[in-house]
Amino acid sequence: MKRKVGELILILFLYLIQVTFGRNIAIGSIMPNLLIILPVLFGFLQGKNEGMFIGFCAGLLYDLYFSNLIGVTAMVFVFAGYFAGVFYQKYEETEALIPLALLMVSDFCFEFISYIGNFLLHNKLDVLYFISRFILPEIVYTLFVAVIMYKPIAFLNKRLERKDKRRLSEID
Amino acid sequence: MKKKLSSVLSSKIILILCVMLCAVFIGVSFFTDKLTTPLRNAISTVVIPVQKGMNYVGLLVADRYDTLQEIRTVLEENEDLKEQVDTLTEENNQLKQDTYELARLRTLYELDEKYPEYSKVAARVIGTTTDNWFRTFTVDKGSEEGIEVDMNVMADGGLVGVVTDVGPHYATVKTVIEDGSYISGMLIDTGDVCSVKGDIKLMDSGLVRLQYFKKDVVVRNGDKIVTSNISDKFLPGILIGYVKDVTNDSNNLTQSGYLVPAVDFQHLQEVLIIQKKKQNS
Repeated sequence: MKRKVGELILILFLYLIQVTFGRNIAIGSIMPNLLIILPVLFGFLQGKNEGMFIGFCAGLLYDLYFSNLIGVTAMVFVFAGYFAGVFYQKYEETEALIPLALLMVSDFCFEFISYIGNFLLHNKLDVLYFISRFILPEIVYTLFVAVIMYKPIAFLNKRLERKDKRRLSEID
Repeated sequence: MKKKLSSVLSSKIILILCVMLCAVFIGVSFFTDKLTTPLRNAISTVVIPVQKGMNYVGLLVADRYDTLQEIRTVLEENEDLKEQVDTLTEENNQLKQDTYELARLRTLYELDEKYPEYSKVAARVIGTTTDNWFRTFTVDKGSEEGIEVDMNVMADGGLVGVVTDVGPHYATVKTVIEDGSYISGMLIDTGDVCSVKGDIKLMDSGLVRLQYFKKDVVVRNGDKIVTSNISDKFLPGILIGYVKDVTNDSNNLTQSGYLVPAVDFQHLQEVLIIQKKKQNS
């Protein structure tokens, strides 16, 4: 239970940074997608269920105030958490390139889906422009932030793990 | 309870359940706000105060940084400005005489002021969109402060956008420059109608598309575009921006070009919300 609360606070914290300081840390008016980092990293570090839980909460929050269709992001984030969880315990925690590659793929999929929903269906067919101007810069920036955040999140994950070790042994 | 659940359910079943739950959310939010409004309000009680606090801290830091940087330039500017003040006082005196004359003439012709004054509420920007596609933002005043959906939002004397969603202590504002916004404007002097359309490809330049001027209309760079009488959401006579590079279209029937918004959307901190809706007026 403590683990879930800790994760929810982390989600809320990153959401608030994204919403309040997002435009200030933007480079070329592109800001990183902070919230998608969490389901992927936690899915990799802690398994599918944890990734899906975080993906659902983060995705719901992502959509809540700025989107008409609530739940699309949550669905993509849930899948991101699930597929990151496939690699849980198959790799060491120090092999950070695996979750970063997963993050790259999930962020691309997520942005491409939102491009389809927001623009392609509105007859904006210039796919290459949107990929090169918006999607790729965002992926690079997000990966950069994820590299910085990986160690702290792995550390936090261990701290939360120690607190409810019993629960963890039941899952495995 | 949770422990049992996680041991009984395999992660595939949880995935399916999550996806179904998401589908329910999507389906419900497509048709109605009944499910999302309580959720929004509940979460906003936690999120909005923190957002206000973080915003305050951010502004404080930015202010300090700016003042340190600006002191030197301010001193130099001060010298120049003192000279300007002298010349402007002279001009001002002349203009005052003109306004007296104008007021006298207006009363003669019994003309009202051209545009009525709207009552406004000031609000602070506390959050921007989570994605990179749009420029929507939230402000710290909501339905309990008298804000309603479809109220117009202004800043720097220009049009910012329109309120699209309201909670108890927050409101979401959709801006003029973002993709998908489409409003009717007119030339301030002649009243020729055009349409102002946000385009994501012009985002870097900060411009907005200006379309459908009739071919014979004379449009010059720098002409003011205001909201027209036709629009159903925007009150008439609010400045949107200035014309730039209007040329003939290839169909030889209409003219189109760009519009420089009157508002600096990059540094939007405070906005004014007009407490009067077009539908009621």
